[in-house]
Amino acid sequence: MKMRTFIIRRLLLLIPVLIGVSIFVFMLTRIAGNPAAAYITERMTPAQIAEIEARYHLNEPLVVQYIYWLQGILQGDWGYSKVAKLPVTDAIVEFFPATFELTMVSILIAVIVGIALGTISAVRRDTPTDHATRVLALAGVCLPVFILALILQYVFASQLGWFPVIGRYDDNLYNDVSFQDYRITGFLLVDTILHVDWLRFKDAVWHLILPAICLAFGSIAIITRIMRGSMLEVVNQDYIKTARSKGLPEKVVVKKHARRNALIPTVTVVGLAFGALLGGAVLTETIFAWPGMGQWAASATVYNDWASILGFTLITALVYVLVNLIVDVMYAYLDPRVRLE
Amino acid sequence: MVKAKKVEVASSNVGAYQQAKMSLKPRIREFRFSLYLMSKSLLAMIGLVIVLVLVFIAIFAPVLAPGPPGWIEKNPMQIPKDFESPKPPGSPWGAYMQGEGTFTFGSGSLGLDIYYGCVWGARTSIYTAVYVVIVAIIIGIVIGAIAGYFGGIIDEIMMRITDVFLSIPGLILAMAVAAVLGRSLDNIMLALIIVWWPPYARIMRGQVLTIKEGTYVEAAKAVGSKKMRVLFRHIVPNTLSPIIVNATMDLGVVVLVAAGLAFIGFGPPTGYAEWGRMVADGQTYFLSEVEYPAGSGIFYNPWWIWAFPGMFIFLFVMGFNLLGDGLRDILDPRLRR
Repeated sequence: MKMRTFIIRRLLLLIPVLIGVSIFVFMLTRIAGNPAAAYITERMTPAQIAEIEARYHLNEPLVVQYIYWLQGILQGDWGYSKVAKLPVTDAIVEFFPATFELTMVSILIAVIVGIALGTISAVRRDTPTDHATRVLALAGVCLPVFILALILQYVFASQLGWFPVIGRYDDNLYNDVSFQDYRITGFLLVDTILHVDWLRFKDAVWHLILPAICLAFGSIAIITRIMRGSMLEVVNQDYIKTARSKGLPEKVVVKKHARRNALIPTVTVVGLAFGALLGGAVLTETIFAWPGMGQWAASATVYNDWASILGFTLITALVYVLVNLIVDVMYAYLDPRVRLE
Repeated sequence: MVKAKKVEVASSNVGAYQQAKMSLKPRIREFRFSLYLMSKSLLAMIGLVIVLVLVFIAIFAPVLAPGPPGWIEKNPMQIPKDFESPKPPGSPWGAYMQGEGTFTFGSGSLGLDIYYGCVWGARTSIYTAVYVVIVAIIIGIVIGAIAGYFGGIIDEIMMRITDVFLSIPGLILAMAVAAVLGRSLDNIMLALIIVWWPPYARIMRGQVLTIKEGTYVEAAKAVGSKKMRVLFRHIVPNTLSPIIVNATMDLGVVVLVAAGLAFIGFGPPTGYAEWGRMVADGQTYFLSEVEYPAGSGIFYNPWWIWAFPGMFIFLFVMGFNLLGDGLRDILDPRLRR
């Protein structure tokens, strides 16, 4: 199968999944309570209530209601977020960059550290290095994100004072210019570079380090485990023996021959790890007061703000599905056997 | 011939007993071999010990943490409190507790007894984990087995449905469901079941697909067994090893996610013996200082409020994780001998 056919096929397969997700979210909106409740007051007569229900198509069968609802979603009408005091779509635009920045930096840390640790652990199998790495990986899987966050805050922010405890930037640096005016793309790292603003860039990086490490920790564990496993499998292959017997230096054998092939299965877990990251972002952002989608969703749950919660669910599902699509395409590119299925 | 055998069995109970014993023997032998393999794996043993200790704590909670006199007869899952500000580990109970005792792990907001909460929280966690995993497995097995065995359009529809659930990150899916249903432990469990069944359906389907071509399945069909009997009597029992391994690990992960949800604010309110909620309470005191004894001028940062329940969550997840890892090595026939 050609690469293009593969991508098109995968895109088409997404359609039923996305329709399914939308049906699921729609069902949740209806379970959440009468959507017209916000417009109904106690003094209204039954006739007036019926009129309102008719206006919002709530007297129609569920299937018809779903179609109206989906129409609204596709036209960008995602409801109003009580918590953000903005339409949900605007709120997503507002909060998405902060979350995206955090998750991207985390996944980068996770991939780099995970691949390095997995490789070292496999090459030095059964040495103290290997054992230490495996214990770290185990801790990464078992330690809840929110407890790790508290430990990091306590040790590195509160006790040692190396990093700020919470937030995305230092308010004092934005005395002369409001953050809203400063914003260009919403990605603070990019914005500060666009402003050629070294001081604020440094501040942004400083605030990013602890939450990013915290969020990356679990994914580091997943990637290290898979990387170690697939390295161990690859190392026993004939072509590695060939490379060694040719007299290639060990470094070249590990880096060029073994690691490249061991990376293939690792790519698939990156997609999986990304899902865990999106979930973990809710907890991390809440604890570090990071003004992203996760914190928005968490505070929305406190105030029973359905529109925000369901908008958040919908957008994360969309992002997650797309990331996994990209991962699958990369996988097919790296390992042509996949495309032949 | 089958008929003749039946008569023979019916005519003598001793024969039936012998037969049962004979058929059990290889199973017992395999089981003992599994135990032997397990005893050789240090990490699996550590996991087993942690799990057993936690189960012990949960069972003997009334003995280990009786609380003030008469407390556990009323509502044991509520943590007793003395309404004083947090005290460090080892300080005595305040007057409101109506009894003599010490806060072994210190006290939290409203003077909640952290030790009591940790011990009784083991019950909450084990109950949540076992309930969620068992219900998820049952749903997953039924759906996965039917999809894999019958194939075709049934398979296609069922697998697309699991795709939908798998396309939303677990914690967020659980959050959305729990948010809509309302804040309580039962709703967290329901939300977690919705998150947890699809992977089991996937595993089960894969297993059934490989096994359904086996000779013994054909033999069962040849003697005229009904489809459902072939599926649930001959195929499903032979697919359970990967399910058991996954379930063991998931027992830990369920508690991890449930604690995360409780931390954000779903689940039972402050005062209920639940570890995630207790950690969240600790966060509110996170960077503050408490004075103890009052008026003494000695200040503490109340780390104990979140550290002890946090440690219990960590141990719980690690115990089941190690045990699951060990079980995988034991139950995988390729690695077995």
